[in-house]
Amino acid sequence: MMGLFLKTLIALMLGFAALSASADGVDIQIQDPWVLAAPPNVKVMAAYLEIKNNGQKPRILTNIASPAFGQVGIHRSVMHGNMAHMEHLKELTIPPNASVVLKPGGLHFMLMDAKKPLLVGDQVPMTLNFQSGEKIVVTAIVRSGQMEGMEDHQHMDHSGHENHKP
Amino acid sequence: MKNQSLVLTKRNLAILLAIALSITAFIGWRLGHKTVVQPPEEIVDYLFWQAKDLTDFKLVGANSKTLVLNDLKGKWSFIFFGYTHCPDVCPLTLGILGQAFTLLENNPDAFQEIQGVFISVDPKRDTPELAKEYASYFSSKFTGVTGDTAQLDALSRQMSALYTIHPKEPKESGDNYLVSHNSTIFLVDPRGRLYGRFPPPQAPQEIAEVFIKIRMFYNEGANK
Repeated sequence: MMGLFLKTLIALMLGFAALSASADGVDIQIQDPWVLAAPPNVKVMAAYLEIKNNGQKPRILTNIASPAFGQVGIHRSVMHGNMAHMEHLKELTIPPNASVVLKPGGLHFMLMDAKKPLLVGDQVPMTLNFQSGEKIVVTAIVRSGQMEGMEDHQHMDHSGHENHKP
Repeated sequence: MKNQSLVLTKRNLAILLAIALSITAFIGWRLGHKTVVQPPEEIVDYLFWQAKDLTDFKLVGANSKTLVLNDLKGKWSFIFFGYTHCPDVCPLTLGILGQAFTLLENNPDAFQEIQGVFISVDPKRDTPELAKEYASYFSSKFTGVTGDTAQLDALSRQMSALYTIHPKEPKESGDNYLVSHNSTIFLVDPRGRLYGRFPPPQAPQEIAEVFIKIRMFYNEGANK
C-alpha cells in the first residue's frame, strides 16, 4: 500500500517536473508517454510518445534508459508489402519547431530485458538523453493498444479508408 | 444456281443458329456460374482466388500437445506468424484480433466456430509454453504453438508467410536479435483450406464485419 502511494507520488513529482520544465520555455516537450501492454511473460515491450521541439535548433535524442529494463533502443517498424521489419536507429533527430510522434506500427522505443512483468496501469520511468546534454525524465503508463486501433479505424472511415484495403 | 444459293442460305442459317445458340448457352452458363462463385464485392479482396487445400503439418503447443491440420477442421482459424520478442507489431495485431473476437461474441453461431492460432517463428527463444501463454493473453480463444524450422516451414510456405531471423547486431545485448515476419492474419476455413487473409494494417471492426460476410458467403455456397 505504502509502496503504491510512494510510486504514485514519485510519478506525480516526475510528471510535474517534466511539465514545469516545458512550461519554462525549455525547448523539448514530451507528450503522452505510454507503453503497449503485452503478456506478462514477455522480455521486450514498446514505448510511444510525442517529442516536440519548440526551439530553433534540431535536437538529437541519443540514448534512453529505464530502471525497469536492461536496455532501451530506438526502433522503427517498417512494412515492406505485408512483411514487418524492424530497423534500429542510432539516434532520433527532432527538427526545430517540429515534433516527432512515436506510435504503434512505426517509431518506438524498444524496451528490452524486462526486469519484472508489467501490467496495465503500471508506470515506467524513462530518462531521455539528448546530444546537448539535456536529460528529460518521463513516466510512461502501461496501457492496452486495442482501443487505439479501433479509434484509428473510425478515423479512417471518414478519410482514407480505401488505403486500408489490400 | 437458284437452288444452290438457297441451299447455301439454309446452311448458313443453320451455322448462324448454331453459333447463336452456343453464345446464348455460354452466356447463360457464365451468368449461372457467376451467381454461384462470385463473392460479394466487400469481401472479394480478402479471399484467395481459389481456396487452397493445405497439406498436413505438425506444430507443438504447451504440454507437448501437437497441432495438426485436422485440428483446424470444423473451425474458422485465424493464423498469425510472429514472435514474443516483438514489441510493436505482434502485440498490436494480436490485440486487434482479440478485439475482433470480442466483437464477434454478438454473433454466437460465428463465435463458437472461431479460433486464433499464434505461431512463433522464433523457437530458439519461444518455447511452446511461452507461445501459448503469450497468445492466450489476447483472447481465451487463442492458442500458441511453435516448431523446428522444418515444422514451421511446412505450414508457413503453404501460406507464403515468409520470415527471416536476423543475426544479432553487435550493439544489442544478450539474446536481442530481430525477426522479420509476414503480419497478415490468414484465415483457414472449416475444411482446412486457406480461404482468406487480412493484410496489415488491420482493425477490429473490419475483421469482425468482413468475417461475418465471408462466413455467410461460405455457408451459402455449401448449401447449394
